[in-house]
Amino acid sequence: MPPAVRAESLTKRYGTLTAVDDLSFALEPGTITGFLGPNGAGKTTTLRMLLGLARPTHGEALIFERPYAEIEQPALRIGAVLEATDFHPGRSGRNHLRTLAAAAGLPDSRVDEVLRTVELAGAANRRVKGYSLGMRQRLGLAAALLGDPELLVLDEPANGLDPEGVRWLRDFLRSFAGSGHTVLVSSHVLAEVAQTVDHVLIISRGKLVRESRLDELTAGIGGAVRVRSPQADRLREALEREGIEVADASGALYARGTTSERVGEIAAASGVVLHELRVEQSSLEEVFLELTAEKQE
Amino acid sequence: MIPQLRAEVLKVRSTRTTLGLVLGMAALILLFVILTALLTSVNEMGQRDQQRDLYSIGSFAGLFAALAGIMLVTGEYRYGTIRPTYLFTPKRSTVLVAKVAASLVAGLVFALIGEILSVGVGGVILNERSISIALTHHDYWLLTIGTLIGTALWGGIGVGVGMIVRNQVGAIIGILAWGFVIQNLLFGLAPTVGRWTPDSAQNGMMGMTDSHLLDPGPGAVVLVGWTIAICIAGAVMAARRDVS
Ligand SMILES: Nc1ncnc2c1ncn2[C@@H]1O[C@H](COP(=O)(O)OP(=O)(O)O)[C@@H](O)[C@H]1O
Ligand SMILES: [Mg+2]
Repeated sequence: MPPAVRAESLTKRYGTLTAVDDLSFALEPGTITGFLGPNGAGKTTTLRMLLGLARPTHGEALIFERPYAEIEQPALRIGAVLEATDFHPGRSGRNHLRTLAAAAGLPDSRVDEVLRTVELAGAANRRVKGYSLGMRQRLGLAAALLGDPELLVLDEPANGLDPEGVRWLRDFLRSFAGSGHTVLVSSHVLAEVAQTVDHVLIISRGKLVRESRLDELTAGIGGAVRVRSPQADRLREALEREGIEVADASGALYARGTTSERVGEIAAASGVVLHELRVEQSSLEEVFLELTAEKQE
Repeated sequence: MIPQLRAEVLKVRSTRTTLGLVLGMAALILLFVILTALLTSVNEMGQRDQQRDLYSIGSFAGLFAALAGIMLVTGEYRYGTIRPTYLFTPKRSTVLVAKVAASLVAGLVFALIGEILSVGVGGVILNERSISIALTHHDYWLLTIGTLIGTALWGGIGVGVGMIVRNQVGAIIGILAWGFVIQNLLFGLAPTVGRWTPDSAQNGMMGMTDSHLLDPGPGAVVLVGWTIAICIAGAVMAARRDVS
């Protein structure tokens, strides 16, 4: 199957600043991809180019193998939300959606359907001015869903959501992707999307630093063996004698590049009492920070 | 094209902006019509040129139609709705044409209200003061057609200006400065140049009789030309510039 989204040497310069730098990637249909990177990494700029709002300095930004502007009736295949606040404050949520439905040739009954999907039917006739941020986020999502798209592109959708809103969004995206649809969702916090996505695309300073399945990223994480002992100094010496790298933090030792079995055996051989012995995975967030920090130097 | 036009008409109708502009326009036209019709002496008011001036006050609708066109574009940039608009209709020229068409329709409605107020209220006051009408059928015809078509075209001009300027406050200040200051100065100081402005072209089109104005036919052609030129400039800008 051809990729749903593809960037080919995509580059965007603003004056001397290269916001997106020779970015190439492809997203398989049916995947949920987290598009990650710290603030200013170039995520929004990349999405704008993919959605035909900004013109690449060079390279190609393709959706279903075509530039966005050349797709017939794009709203029927692609739903996108770039900013959570793109509404006229004096227009009702329902009328906002009706203007977009009209442009896509969709009936008003479709407007009422998506309003129910995002649980906004009760507030539909109120002016957007009175909506909370969470309601605005859902109204934006409703607009993206109008055309029953097969691809969703969301820029930082969890920004400003309360925990309940984040959970709602996660459940929604999972059920959307469950039916074979494709999702590209950006965030500057990996943890926000780690429970939702199956692929990650990590960029920093406009450059791609990692493209992989989420489980591969997790598997590649170097863990450490955490061990606590009332004879920590003796244990440390024993471990270091065996050539194991040891760090200590918050009353525990962390042995890197080894296994819990090996640490246990060394402790027994040196007659050291252990109070705790377990493998600790460094968190995804730490890996993410590491990956993007390297690039920033 | 028809779906986009429906979308734009709905945008015009679904905020209070349009109603506000109509009310502002009605208040201004009524004020000027009543003051002019009441305060001008019976002798003067009996003259054909003076009556034409009175009835032409309805063409203030053009300024408000231009403001409506400006709001229809700059409101989208101000509130970010330009993003969903272009996501649903990535061909930007289609969006522009739909906005121009919606603004032409809105302009016609504005002009009708303006005409009813100026000719209707003005006529009632003249009748009350027992001043007989000196205008010919031809005069009425030019005034009405000139106001309707001219105002509609101003709606289109507003859309083009909005696409070029994008900033709402900037565009509004620009059109007000142009309409109340610059074009008056231009026509006052250099009428041979000033008569080619859209405003003077419309005055010519309505059959106003200042000796420097263009005749109705050429006036109409010049106003249509301005509208097309400004909208094409807006379309070129819209196609070139990124939406952030
Ligand atoms: N329209 C613009 N003009 C100039 N610089 C811009 C523009 N848009 C983005 N940038 C710059 O490009 C870089 C990437 O921005 P952005 O794509 O918004 O990053 P992210 O979405 O990952 O936070 C930033 O340094 C930002 O300041
Ligand atoms: Mg961003």
